Amino acid sequence: MIERTELQHSARKALGEGSTAPDAAKSWDLISEMGWLMMAVPETLGGLGFGREALGVIHTELGRALVPGPVIAQMLVIEALCAAGEFVERDNLLARAMGGELMTMSLASGVALTAVPDADRASHFLIDEIDHIRLVPRADCTVTPRETWDKTRRLFDVEVRDEQAGFWIAEGQRAWALHNRLQSQLLFALAGDSLGGADAILNLTIDYLKARTQFDRPLAMFQALKHRVADLKTHLVAAEALFWSRANDKATLTEMGALKAHACAVYCEIAEEAIQLHGGIGLTAEHDCHLFLKRAMLNAALGGGNDYWEEKAGRQLLEERAP
Amino acid sequence: MTAALDGFRQQVRNWLVANAPKDWRATDTHPCFVESQRAWFKKLVEGGYAVPHWPAQWLGGGRTLAEQKIIYEELARADAPRLLLSFVSTYHAYSTIEECGTEVQKARYLPRILEGETWCQGFSEPGAGSDLASLKCKAERKGEVYVVNGQKLWSTMAQYADKCLLLVRTSREGAKQAGITFLLMDMKVPGVTVRPIHQIQGDEEFAEIFLDNVEVPVSDRVGEEGAGWAVAQATLASERGLTLMELSYRMRGAMWRIAKLVRDNGRAEDAGVLRDVGRLATKIDTACAIADQFLENRMKGIERVGDASIVKLTYARVLRDYAALGVRLGGLSEQYRAPITFGDLTTGNWMADFMNSYAWTIAGGSDEVQRNIIAERMLDMPREPKSWVGA
Repeated sequence: MIERTELQHSARKALGEGSTAPDAAKSWDLISEMGWLMMAVPETLGGLGFGREALGVIHTELGRALVPGPVIAQMLVIEALCAAGEFVERDNLLARAMGGELMTMSLASGVALTAVPDADRASHFLIDEIDHIRLVPRADCTVTPRETWDKTRRLFDVEVRDEQAGFWIAEGQRAWALHNRLQSQLLFALAGDSLGGADAILNLTIDYLKARTQFDRPLAMFQALKHRVADLKTHLVAAEALFWSRANDKATLTEMGALKAHACAVYCEIAEEAIQLHGGIGLTAEHDCHLFLKRAMLNAALGGGNDYWEEKAGRQLLEERAP
Repeated sequence: MTAALDGFRQQVRNWLVANAPKDWRATDTHPCFVESQRAWFKKLVEGGYAVPHWPAQWLGGGRTLAEQKIIYEELARADAPRLLLSFVSTYHAYSTIEECGTEVQKARYLPRILEGETWCQGFSEPGAGSDLASLKCKAERKGEVYVVNGQKLWSTMAQYADKCLLLVRTSREGAKQAGITFLLMDMKVPGVTVRPIHQIQGDEEFAEIFLDNVEVPVSDRVGEEGAGWAVAQATLASERGLTLMELSYRMRGAMWRIAKLVRDNGRAEDAGVLRDVGRLATKIDTACAIADQFLENRMKGIERVGDASIVKLTYARVLRDYAALGVRLGGLSEQYRAPITFGDLTTGNWMADFMNSYAWTIAGGSDEVQRNIIAERMLDMPREPKSWVGA
């Protein structure tokens, strides 16, 4: 098991310490070269065989640097291919996907074919209809770009023209199990992306408060601001602890959903406060503040919203504590 | 490993079924509370569960962190009373004397803790709350004794304590921290008067202590004269993490009360209520996770300045949320006063629990002090200028 901090260090170095929203094509090449796409793939299938904790590191670091591109979706497709039974082409497709050939899927919850990242460049889409999951070539689909507020992600609607097309990866019970597994992975990835981003924008905000002088003193000296920052830091560190405590295969889907909802709530809170604490400069497009806010709000909407997961978590608690 | 822990859990659970007091919530009012606390402590000592955080040479000591967590979870699950009366003894007194005391002090005081001798803490004063180092309680050395005069405040359970961990001022020279000395004081000697403080929920958990020419032998000083501030840091650090881990896991264990309240009030299909419950459950999980992480880091020696503040702030706020949700779900019926029970923060008397939760946002360094520590010492935000001239 590779050390979390070691991986964190190398990922941060590769992405360029402190840089944000890098060029999409360059960062995609970097991600494939670093082997991050094959991180969780078992060694028997040509991957690196790391667990969920290692994935957590990658997602937090990608979120921290606001890396664009379809990494989360690509990793889900790879996960599905690993879990798929043997079929002709499986190993070939898996090798191509691990090597960086774009294969993507929806990051929305359930079966909606919306919020599919980088669909225009993808060779295949994973179509999850719960009772069956298949990998469909782009030739059998219609792809429509959607304008998003968050410019660090390019999202598309996808329509499948042929109901039978593609490689059938799972059906029935196996499809249901795989669906849950992919959703769980998606929620974990979104939580990681959110906490990485939250940490980055909080650090930027603290640096700004230290540097900005008004009334002959740094803003960071005002207790009214310090206490707000301390609360944000507390919420973040506690959410990170929850994240790492669920970076394993034991967490239930609902626990992952609750984690994602909590992480997104913290990210939104910090990104909103960041703009307020930056003052006027935070409202300008040239400053990075808005990039974090928009990604935070998109993350909150992907994979099922907070209302949905909080309610599920409430139900789970009532079931666990039944008389 | 996991199998061994499961076995241990079952062992604790079985022991609690046979031994945990069951009707204590109905009967525990002062002074009944004190008697049942003493009896429960004695039982836990005999059972080997009173001081799992002490080293293995002591009965019930030497438990791993994982085992300690199991004990706390099971105590909460069995709805057994917290050890409020012996809390300062087994944490603060133990670690202060063990880490900074003389061999004579160790031999004299530590075994008595397990025999039921209780300690209180004489730190805060009317004029020294968040600014603890400005304390004024004066001790003058006369031969082989210190003569102490002053007042202490917010001392937990001082009215029942046998001994006191006392911070006094032995010098007004130099930095205010440099003139502080740490004494071990007998509460039963002439000149000590204790007055309980009536709190908003009807409890008397805290007391004030008046000291009038109290004589404390020099042999009961911990550390050198003037080194009391450093000793006090050891005292305060002793419970860090462990207590909050216990309390966080107990709060998680006590979520059955919220679940019951939701069901009893027919709100189990109310989406808004379910969301609040779900959010609270996740927040309690974060409090448990951050307490776990803190202890792991502490054991690895990678604790950062401010980490303890984050743990305390997280727990205190979640505890408030827990009680507030109970008050809200209970509605009007919670506004009719019910007898309170002592010894726990999650009793299901929601108004009392709510008011009691302030003990955690104010005592032991208020939330505001914790925020200053996080901002200034962890995040390096500059301190405000020291001097202030009144208008």
